[in-house]
Amino acid sequence: MGTYIRLRGVTKEFDAGGEIKRAVDHIDLDVGAGEIVALLGPNGAGKTTTIDMILGFIPATSGEVTVFGGKPKEAIEQGRVSAVLQTGGLIRDFTVGETVELIASAYPRHPPIEEVLLRAGLTGLSQQRVELCSGGEQQRLRFALALLADPDLLLLDEPTAGMDVQARRDFWVAMREEAERGRTVVFATHYLQEAEDFAQRIVLLNEGRVVADGPIDEIRRHAAARTIKARIDGGRVDATVAALEGIDAVSSCIANGERLVIEAIDSDQVALLLLTQMGARDLEIEPASLESAFVRITKDTSHLDQGARQ
Amino acid sequence: MNVTFYRLEMRRLLRNYVNLFFVVGLPVFFYLIFGASPSYADEPVRDGNVAMWIMIAMAAYGAVSATNGIGGSTALERMQGWTRQLGLTPLPDREYVKVKTATAATMGGFTILLVFLAGAVTGAKAPLSVWFASGLILLAGSVTFALYGLNFGLAIRSESSLGASAGSLVLLSFLGNIFIPLEGWKLTLAKFTPLYGYVSMARRPLTGGGNLEPSSGELLYEPLWQPMTNLVVWTTVFFLLAVSLVHRGRDRQ
Repeated sequence: MGTYIRLRGVTKEFDAGGEIKRAVDHIDLDVGAGEIVALLGPNGAGKTTTIDMILGFIPATSGEVTVFGGKPKEAIEQGRVSAVLQTGGLIRDFTVGETVELIASAYPRHPPIEEVLLRAGLTGLSQQRVELCSGGEQQRLRFALALLADPDLLLLDEPTAGMDVQARRDFWVAMREEAERGRTVVFATHYLQEAEDFAQRIVLLNEGRVVADGPIDEIRRHAAARTIKARIDGGRVDATVAALEGIDAVSSCIANGERLVIEAIDSDQVALLLLTQMGARDLEIEPASLESAFVRITKDTSHLDQGARQ
Repeated sequence: MNVTFYRLEMRRLLRNYVNLFFVVGLPVFFYLIFGASPSYADEPVRDGNVAMWIMIAMAAYGAVSATNGIGGSTALERMQGWTRQLGLTPLPDREYVKVKTATAATMGGFTILLVFLAGAVTGAKAPLSVWFASGLILLAGSVTFALYGLNFGLAIRSESSLGASAGSLVLLSFLGNIFIPLEGWKLTLAKFTPLYGYVSMARRPLTGGGNLEPSSGELLYEPLWQPMTNLVVWTTVFFLLAVSLVHRGRDRQ
């Protein structure tokens, strides 16, 4: 069915009190039918701004945003795209059922309301006021509202923010069912674990730029650096650091007195080198936690730029 | 118009008893105290009486308060992201505006009806045509003041905007020849304030274009263009202000 989302050189600048702030900086992105894509990045990376432009809420400062081959607004009017928004407000003194009924009335055709409530796990909550719903229940309500569009493309902006562990798990189970129905899902998150568990492809954003884009295995391989610590005799520290930095697999090497802290993808190669040729002692290898890999990958963008970009 | 949306909005409003009591109950109460009870209530004003003159004024205040509240809460809903939620649906913006306008008109109309009912049973007198003409003018003009509340909400961007706009309407009611009849320089000043044109137009079927002078009890004639200009100018100001405030708030920061 071709390309659902197409971004070309998309840039968004905000005027933050006289100072121009670039939230999104020349993003290129293609999302095709049936993909499940995570937009992964720390707060302020430009995830929400990107989603807002795909939905046509805000215009791009420059560049081209195409959704289903046309303008974002047209895709929404046709009910082909819907979203669960982080900032999507609900009216507190409506009930869950009233909220669903109201949004349903905006669509010429929609799936039966009972079915939507069931799929979002809201059956039995229909009579409850929105203000009495937990954060997780409110998020499931937003999800139900998105299902009313029966969309081909579903955008989720930090969908599990504020949910507890159980609610989060339930939410992703429901989302997986939607993906199995053939919906294309693009979701923004800053939880690495969520991206890893659910997405097939990760688009890593940092400071408004795409710093990595690829299948999850590929990203993981690049992200999976290990930390190696070793002791070197004082006189040889500088020479060793220089030598290590010349190795492709090494992404950083910091000397702290006689102690070296090295980050490297191929830790075996580096460890072998250190022990056999560089006279290192007290060598330790620590596996990278997902968290530190994430920090590394967003910090060290140039390294991944060549490696993981498709 | 999207009837489901309208029905759900009305149901939500009518569920809020406390708000309903103050919006609808207060002007009825004001009328009973200031309009129906005083000794001069049955003094003639052309083919009607003073009670009728005060009843129209209190209906005007009540209708404007009601629509102002709808406009204010609309601004808050927008701020809290509800309009973004609606923006995800094919519902056109003009449908949303229609529903909100209809909701405001219903609440305004409801208030006018109750004040008129109170007037009818407590001695407000005028020919039937005056009741109808005044009622319609009150209803049509009240929708303008939904924009008044909307502007407060868009500008202040917090719950306090509701109190601020409602409070300022009380002030404007005093300045606009609604709560107490004005004369001399105060009346001249009143002619430039936002509620003056509205209430003067609504009273016109009763007075034939006069303002009741409190010291003499006489009607002082004023040409139609004066209240008309007031209403048109202020409506335009509110409208343009709303457009610019909506525009300003469009970019998410």
